[in-house]
Amino acid sequence: MTEYVIIGDGISGSSAAETLREEDPESSITVITDEGEALYNRILIKEHAKGKLPEAPISIHEEDWYEERDIELSLNTHVTGVDTDEKVVHTHEGDEIGYDKLLIATGGTPTQLPVDGSDAEGIHHFWTFQDARKIRESAEEAEKGVIVGAGLLGIDFAAVCGAQGVEGKYLMRGDRWWRYALSGEGAEIMHEGMRDVGVEPVFDSGVDHFETDDDGQVVAAVDPNGDRYECDFAGVAIGLTFNTEYLGDIDLEQDNGIVVDQYMQTNLEDVYAAGDITRFYDVLLGEQAQNGSWGSAKEQGRIAGVNMAADDEAEEFEWVSSYSITHFDFPFLSFGHPTLGDDHAERKYSDTEWRRIAFKDGKVVGGVLIGDLAPQSKLKQLMREQRVVADQKEVLLEETVDLDDLAPPQEQ
Amino acid sequence: MATTTSTGRSLTLRRVDSVAPDATVRHIDQLDDRSLELFYAALEGGRRLTATGTDLEPGTVVVATGYYRVEAA
Ligand SMILES: Cc1cc2nc3c(=O)[nH]c(=O)nc-3n(C[C@H](O)[C@H](O)[C@H](O)COP(=O)(O)OP(=O)(O)OC[C@H]3O[C@@H](n4cnc5c(N)ncnc54)[C@H](O)[C@@H]3O)c2cc1C
Repeated sequence: MTEYVIIGDGISGSSAAETLREEDPESSITVITDEGEALYNRILIKEHAKGKLPEAPISIHEEDWYEERDIELSLNTHVTGVDTDEKVVHTHEGDEIGYDKLLIATGGTPTQLPVDGSDAEGIHHFWTFQDARKIRESAEEAEKGVIVGAGLLGIDFAAVCGAQGVEGKYLMRGDRWWRYALSGEGAEIMHEGMRDVGVEPVFDSGVDHFETDDDGQVVAAVDPNGDRYECDFAGVAIGLTFNTEYLGDIDLEQDNGIVVDQYMQTNLEDVYAAGDITRFYDVLLGEQAQNGSWGSAKEQGRIAGVNMAADDEAEEFEWVSSYSITHFDFPFLSFGHPTLGDDHAERKYSDTEWRRIAFKDGKVVGGVLIGDLAPQSKLKQLMREQRVVADQKEVLLEETVDLDDLAPPQEQ
Repeated sequence: MATTTSTGRSLTLRRVDSVAPDATVRHIDQLDDRSLELFYAALEGGRRLTATGTDLEPGTVVVATGYYRVEAA
């Protein structure tokens, strides 16, 4: 009987556990998490923080889900070390859990701003359900908010401020939101969305330090220009630090994330990784890449489970990830790797419609659609087919994309 | 979690303001590609969507630019 141990009960770890049970009914499966609750819907906790969604629908698995599948779930258990020679996992309580095959699915933790006052009361980071509960409580009481981090997670704080009636200032270091993927025209649509919900983007800003009162509560953020923004609520989302510290000095290949191949195998035998924490070989891109999205993490967990159970390279991870922003009147979808590539095409169609497509070696590798998402499935199809189309940008930028208008694929 | 629906029945989307604690709620990024495409087509065109080939079940609330309850047409 094979003993599988999974560290992390996020969507990647949980999906691996489910797959392992299906693929290897006789095995022993242990899932370890340092959170106090079983798998929940991390991409819906922002709706709870906004005050729009009750807690119950956010839960995905009750504890009996694991019992029914004969999966051992260890809640509130922090893994402190892994010995890959002895094949043992150490926990904070001093327990040792042996494994035949190990899956590392521990994701990341939001990075704290390295500035004075950043640990004050009222300053929030956003990753867990517990964070969401605290953010909701704090935002309900707050009048003025400051948001830092001009990316996909920062904008959730802007939405929380908007929904909770907190007057927000969104302090951005550059001249626009998500400058790695959006040009000024695309970003301006997002800025308007923020303004519509009562959050003002502030450019060429950021936070130099936070001011606190005698009780340690945040009262203001001061930006590098010396401008002071009063606040009793702050949201910081400047990036993720991957949870790898417990891996100590084992010989696991890492490169800002755990390096895996398309089968989710690390460089160490019988050690796999899945989810946000991986730097995986992307077969569509032809190089190592990272995804930070729910669908991708779920699929990586499934693929890891299939290959662990098969003890073979049975199925490879081939995936076009999607990430939506749902906070405004218009839809927003980013797919694939919109910030990578060597070429791009973009167009604005109206005050709320914009499109960008990223290419690498002539092939679609990602994009961002704002306002009109109709072309998303066709663009993803082109990405999956790895068709060389960068020489036909006009067809791809037509308001209605018709793949029949593309020249037939060349033999490659 | 919702499972794949294989019937040919039609579904409609109704915008809702609140969600009951016992509702099944899914974020739009949890839909598979086909469901996502049909969902947005239904939203923009006000058309019905067929359940065939989607993983949408009546009663599910989908969180998109608003909250939309999937209902049998
Ligand atoms: C606020 C927010 C909004 C998001 N919105 C979207 C969205 O709209 N669309 C989208 O596609 N994606 C979104 N994401 C990203 C998405 O949630 C993640 O990509 C996905 O959940 C990653 O899953 P994972 O299993 O890899 O990691 P995680 O969900 O982070 O799970 C890792 C688990 O491991 C545990 N762990 C870590 N270290 C240890 C240890 N040493 N011992 C024991 N347990 C440990 C952690 O506590 C955690 O429970 C959002 C994320 C957040 C936080």
